[in-house]
Amino acid sequence: MTVSLGEPIAGGQGARGWDELSVRFDEVVDLSRIRALLQEAKERGGSTAETVSTINLVAIYFSSAAYDRARAALEAAGRLHPCRLVVLIAESGAPAESVTARISVVRSGGAVSLERIVLTATGAGVRHLESALIGLLLPELPVVVVWGGRAEGALLQRAVGAADRVIIDSGTRPTEALAQVATMLVRGAPIGDLAWARIFPWMALAAEVLDIPNLREHRANLKSARVICAGAVGAEGALLGGWFASRVRKARVEVVAGGDAETGSYVPGEGDGTAITGYPAPAPLGRGHIAGFEFSAPPATFLLRRQKGILTAEVRGDDDGKVVHRVRLPLETPGRLLGLELKLVSGQDELYVAAVQRAVALLPRTAA
Amino acid sequence: MPYAPEHDEVANPLRHGLRVEIPPEPCAVVVFGASGDLAHRKLLPALYNLAVGAHLPGAFGVVGVSKSEYSDTQYQTDMREAVGKFSRTKPIDDEVWRDFAAGLRYVSGSFEDDATFERLQGTLAELDRVRATRGNRLFYFATPPSTYPTLLRKLQKHRFIEPPLEQRFTRVVIEKPFGRDLPSARALNRLVLEVLDERQVFRIDHYLGKETVQNVMVFRFGNTVFEPIWNRNYVDHVQITAGEELGVESRGRYYEEAGLLRDMIQNHVLQLVCLTAMEAPVAFDADAVRDEKIKVLRALAPIEGPEAVAQRVVLGQYTAGQIGGNDVPGYQQEKDVAKGSRTPTFAAIKLNIDSWRWGGVPFYVRSGKRLPKRLTEIAVQFRKLPHALFGEGAAAPNTLILRVQPEEGITLRFSAKVPGERYRPRTVSMDFRYGTAFAAASPEAYERLLLDAMRGDQTLFTRKDEVEAAWKLVDGILRTTEAPDGSAPFSYEAGTWGPREVDELLARDGRVWRRP
Repeated sequence: MTVSLGEPIAGGQGARGWDELSVRFDEVVDLSRIRALLQEAKERGGSTAETVSTINLVAIYFSSAAYDRARAALEAAGRLHPCRLVVLIAESGAPAESVTARISVVRSGGAVSLERIVLTATGAGVRHLESALIGLLLPELPVVVVWGGRAEGALLQRAVGAADRVIIDSGTRPTEALAQVATMLVRGAPIGDLAWARIFPWMALAAEVLDIPNLREHRANLKSARVICAGAVGAEGALLGGWFASRVRKARVEVVAGGDAETGSYVPGEGDGTAITGYPAPAPLGRGHIAGFEFSAPPATFLLRRQKGILTAEVRGDDDGKVVHRVRLPLETPGRLLGLELKLVSGQDELYVAAVQRAVALLPRTAA
Repeated sequence: MPYAPEHDEVANPLRHGLRVEIPPEPCAVVVFGASGDLAHRKLLPALYNLAVGAHLPGAFGVVGVSKSEYSDTQYQTDMREAVGKFSRTKPIDDEVWRDFAAGLRYVSGSFEDDATFERLQGTLAELDRVRATRGNRLFYFATPPSTYPTLLRKLQKHRFIEPPLEQRFTRVVIEKPFGRDLPSARALNRLVLEVLDERQVFRIDHYLGKETVQNVMVFRFGNTVFEPIWNRNYVDHVQITAGEELGVESRGRYYEEAGLLRDMIQNHVLQLVCLTAMEAPVAFDADAVRDEKIKVLRALAPIEGPEAVAQRVVLGQYTAGQIGGNDVPGYQQEKDVAKGSRTPTFAAIKLNIDSWRWGGVPFYVRSGKRLPKRLTEIAVQFRKLPHALFGEGAAAPNTLILRVQPEEGITLRFSAKVPGERYRPRTVSMDFRYGTAFAAASPEAYERLLLDAMRGDQTLFTRKDEVEAAWKLVDGILRTTEAPDGSAPFSYEAGTWGPREVDELLARDGRVWRRP
């Protein structure tokens, strides 16, 4: 066992003002050692601070690179929802067997509001992660798992079984992966999805235009909808189409590819997990993201478009002439989407469940 | 005005179950008193922060109206400075500000002058055109109460007021004080309701916009463990304290007119009493919540006549003293305060709620300026143990403290065994602090209330009957204390918890004030 105390581990992250303590286990993982280091981290800077935790947040990745991309968002969400954050990085392809624990805390308002334990396992050491995790969870608090891998496999099934909620990002996976999500949801899996949180502004604007007094008359006559994804059909478009189809059952809904993306990021099928990156502005329109959403209630047509940081709704064919409505997209600060999903710490979002089922039914006909 | 669907209207199928908050309908907010303190310090920063959080509709505009001469550009510059200084989020986000300022207009002129309102019509029509605000208006009276009748009449005369349930909405936010006694509050309500429908009126009490005040309801009605003991069987008494370190500062003229009873008790403190004492509403909507609050106000035993006031009310006025190691002047040395003034700057009142739940449980409330610290809290003191198993007085009664400000949170005080000694109990605290349990910054009270007013949700605004019922209690006290032969308030040194007489109020009942 090698222990380095008092040395911040940059780990390629640069200084963040956190002192990380670390310990490496080559054979047996010693949880009491990890707990002792956690206590030491809390005692740094004076007397032991009070610790506040509202959830156990568990993040699972299969490469350090994937975790590095998600780190800022996890930290931000962890500060918003005080928690014990346990990050499991399983690098089974590495030759040597070891488990390294990095431990740090963040204080807020005089109390420790984030306890962070990062366990990186290599080679056969990966087998220790699951049992180590169980010993590190705080009792009584909900367990929310952020799943950074493909939405499939035995480990995910076990995570779903043990957690109060599992958060995935189907926006980084091929749209076909929604079928597996749908299957798990049918079995009652409490799955949350960042792709779902990403389309909230579209859903809100669509709902809002039907609340405008002179447009309420069209509610009863909704007939069809079309979701346009930039460059290629993505999971977000499928979810939006699925949502509409589940809410207006008689409507004909399609999801199509059209137009260009602003960036090449979020290419469906090429992501490697929960890539919760942050931007100081509304996120750019990535390939597979939603560029437009149209629905009709003859003679009216509702056209929702994304123009940089603004969503605009235009209504044509209404007696009152053309109506324009718009909302600003939220600034994509790190952890915003995860923070939204963490507001629900257990159970299923019934609206999401229904949307995924319908999205899967839409995809075979529409996927690019 | 909550939207009331037509009988045969189809419900919005897309709204069902959405977890995201939907921005209000497009609208223009008109701030009367736009060059004043409230607009600079609170309203414009609150609106800007709503824009930062993407809570405002995309089609949105603000029109400031007041006497001061500004061009649109000057007003935008002035407001950017105010927002930079008083906003809770800093620094200003240039992109958000550009979009926000593009919808910011200014109309200068007297409220008495018809031409002011004609110009306002023109400006709002222009906003409808270029910002698509669609004729929806939220008027905010950030002006002295003496201007309310004029503003209401002018809005009516110039046809700014749309009937409720029309395609466009008109709402009016009215700042406190709403009247200066029961007759004037009734007269103002009559006038307001001649011009507006109650569903269009938003009487604001910014205390209700505070997250921790709203949390009183969540704490009580979102937990099963407290409600069964929240009654006369378990509660000995309740103490509500709303104290400030500050004196009247530059508000001497206003304070001489108002005094503590009008400034704090009639609104903020009685709202805290209502939230603490109310029954669970049948639903969490505006009328259901306000129906329950008004039952509490109606159940308050009146305090009328010199004898009742002497028994249950202590008024005070601060003299020079020290706070935080600094010398501070007495009330009568403050600017715009008359020598020999009898205006109270402190009040402590014993309230009795004649109801099944609270019969025999006094609610002691106190509020004052120049107290040792700025603090608002509700302390529920539970009954003594039925049997002193560990010795007389060894185990103190439990206390539950809901801290509204500062250090917002909840503390439960209970007995625990001192380690090592034989069954010696000591009172310890179990603490919940908002700031650490929820690291997200709470919105300012005005943000929440402005958003609710734009949405037409009146839950956190006071209703006509609520205002009048609160005045009824305070009016009873004022008739005695402001009578020509009424006693002058007792003096208390700045930096203390009020006059000595305030201790007697509880001592008579065998109780003592908390020293928070």
